[in-house]
Amino acid sequence: MGVSKKVSLTVFGLIMATGALMWLIQLWRGLILTDMNNAYSWGLYVSALAFFVGNAAGGLVLSSMIYLFGVTALKPFARIGALCAFANVAAAMLIVLPDLGRPFRVLNLLLHPQIMSPLVWDVIVLNLYAGLSLIYLYLLMLPDLAARNGFLNKIALPVPDPAGFSDKWARRLAPFSLVAAVGIHVVTAWIFATQGARGWWHTAVMAPDFVAAALASGTAVVMFVAVLCYGTTDKFQSAYRIMAIFIATAFFIHIFLMYNDFVIHAWYGTDHAKEILAITLQEYGLAHAFEVLAPLLGVVLLLNRHVRKTMSGIMAGCLLMIAGIFVHRLLLMPAAFNQMPLTLAPLGSQNTHWSVPIASGRYVPPADTFVSHHSYFPTLVEMLIFAGVLSFVCALILVAVHKLPVVKEG
Amino acid sequence: MRRGMVIDLEKCIGCRSCAVACKQHNAQPAGSWWNRVVTPGSDRHLTASAPENLYFLPIHCQHCNNAPCVKVCPVGATYQTDDGTVLIDFERCIGCRYCMAACPYGVRQFNWESSRHGIERYEYQNGYTYGYPDSFRLDGRLVYSPVRIKGVVEKCHFCAHYQARGLDPACVRACPGKARHVGDLDDPNSRVSRMIRQMNGFTLLPEKGTRPNVYYLPPKRKEV
Repeated sequence: MGVSKKVSLTVFGLIMATGALMWLIQLWRGLILTDMNNAYSWGLYVSALAFFVGNAAGGLVLSSMIYLFGVTALKPFARIGALCAFANVAAAMLIVLPDLGRPFRVLNLLLHPQIMSPLVWDVIVLNLYAGLSLIYLYLLMLPDLAARNGFLNKIALPVPDPAGFSDKWARRLAPFSLVAAVGIHVVTAWIFATQGARGWWHTAVMAPDFVAAALASGTAVVMFVAVLCYGTTDKFQSAYRIMAIFIATAFFIHIFLMYNDFVIHAWYGTDHAKEILAITLQEYGLAHAFEVLAPLLGVVLLLNRHVRKTMSGIMAGCLLMIAGIFVHRLLLMPAAFNQMPLTLAPLGSQNTHWSVPIASGRYVPPADTFVSHHSYFPTLVEMLIFAGVLSFVCALILVAVHKLPVVKEG
Repeated sequence: MRRGMVIDLEKCIGCRSCAVACKQHNAQPAGSWWNRVVTPGSDRHLTASAPENLYFLPIHCQHCNNAPCVKVCPVGATYQTDDGTVLIDFERCIGCRYCMAACPYGVRQFNWESSRHGIERYEYQNGYTYGYPDSFRLDGRLVYSPVRIKGVVEKCHFCAHYQARGLDPACVRACPGKARHVGDLDDPNSRVSRMIRQMNGFTLLPEKGTRPNVYYLPPKRKEV
């Protein structure tokens, strides 16, 4: 392991340790250490769940493209894909834990699952996906595992033709992995989209849009790791080209779906819709500009074949895409929680609609007891816990690339 | 039997006694209010939003028939009893707050810290304490406890602990205007059913399809 890798791993380790410490403190004091309140009850953690689930898309979608649609140019990246899928879906499940008020009761999900809850569906599909991506990673590495010594050789399945076996089973699993990959996004989107109380979420476009955004950021994650592992030699240029086009297409579909929804709601112009759009486009206007323009710039970079010949160009393009989708996930919350569902036209009033304030649930002497607006901004504790989980993803990928035959030599 | 409540807005004087009684009887932690009374249209309570337009609206759990909070709860901690009351099992709740995102009425309260911590910061005089002192279990499930642990969600439980003793909810008994009534909504001849029928009872946010068991009677005239 090179010096730079050791340094990065140390940094990731330190951030993970800080995140874990913050979680311990939060366990001790309660979620009062976050900036959430009764009116604004989900924040960075749940946004991060959506973000990591989205990033997990790339892996198995890539594999299914190779084995279902015969895009063989991507074959060298299949293992990286499966690895990124597992790391991100594991992070998605991990980041939910600090959001729970009683994380030690999480076993209740197994003891008393309530099958109507989209959260239960999500737990099921995320675990399935994590398992599937691990199986996939194992299958794809199988030919090289047998050639290694020690532990890796021991866990290799003793089959006469490992390469053929790996190829055959990867192909057989491909349809299931595609369904699972789409499934985690659809079900995660349903957690939000089923909620009639929240106008911002309650739209049929959310699940398809979630898939589109996930395909863009998930593929960008794989491309980012791939360029770090393989560099930009001519051999991989056609693969990068295909991934860039795929990212761009997914991103434009996401933009289309998002604005399609905006136009329909803005045109009819109910007070609810106008309030929601004002929150996203005015109050959070800068964030909205970023979620559109940063990935757009990323796509412009990635689609340029000269840029694709430079490592920094590809990395910048992918990071812009990932950062843009991250901000998109953050924007899931403000318009959902700052538009009070209980908004009514007071009896005898003309042309007014009025939001009923909610008890904040937090005793803060100078602040209002009842609130109808909260400018949520994650606290240091929330940010460090998130950073810890993000570092976990990076460290897991780094260690796996180093220890396992993820990158094919030669 | 479908337990319901009727709140006569004609009789409500906006005094917030129900909110206070509810808070005290149910030992609600600092910053938590299961019950709130607002002046619709006005940012200041008891202040008309426009001349001759003043009425008050008490809001707490609407005990919906089609309750989104019950459907989203991943562990069945929020559940509905046979009489339609929506309860929370304090020992089952994992604190995911999905129900809070799902509730259109904003009545669910989370314990962001332990109730002891919150009360300490509140600095009540001379160790003042309040709240029904005993825990209450319904069919073995803990639906009320005077001390709250951090990390669980709570809300109006239709005073299940008093109901077991044949008493009406604290807000009903404490209302100086006699604006609140409880009864069986399934019985067309019950007092609450008749009031709803005869005085144009309405529910909040009917467009959300939640079918609440809490009805309101419109005020005939407004205070000036």
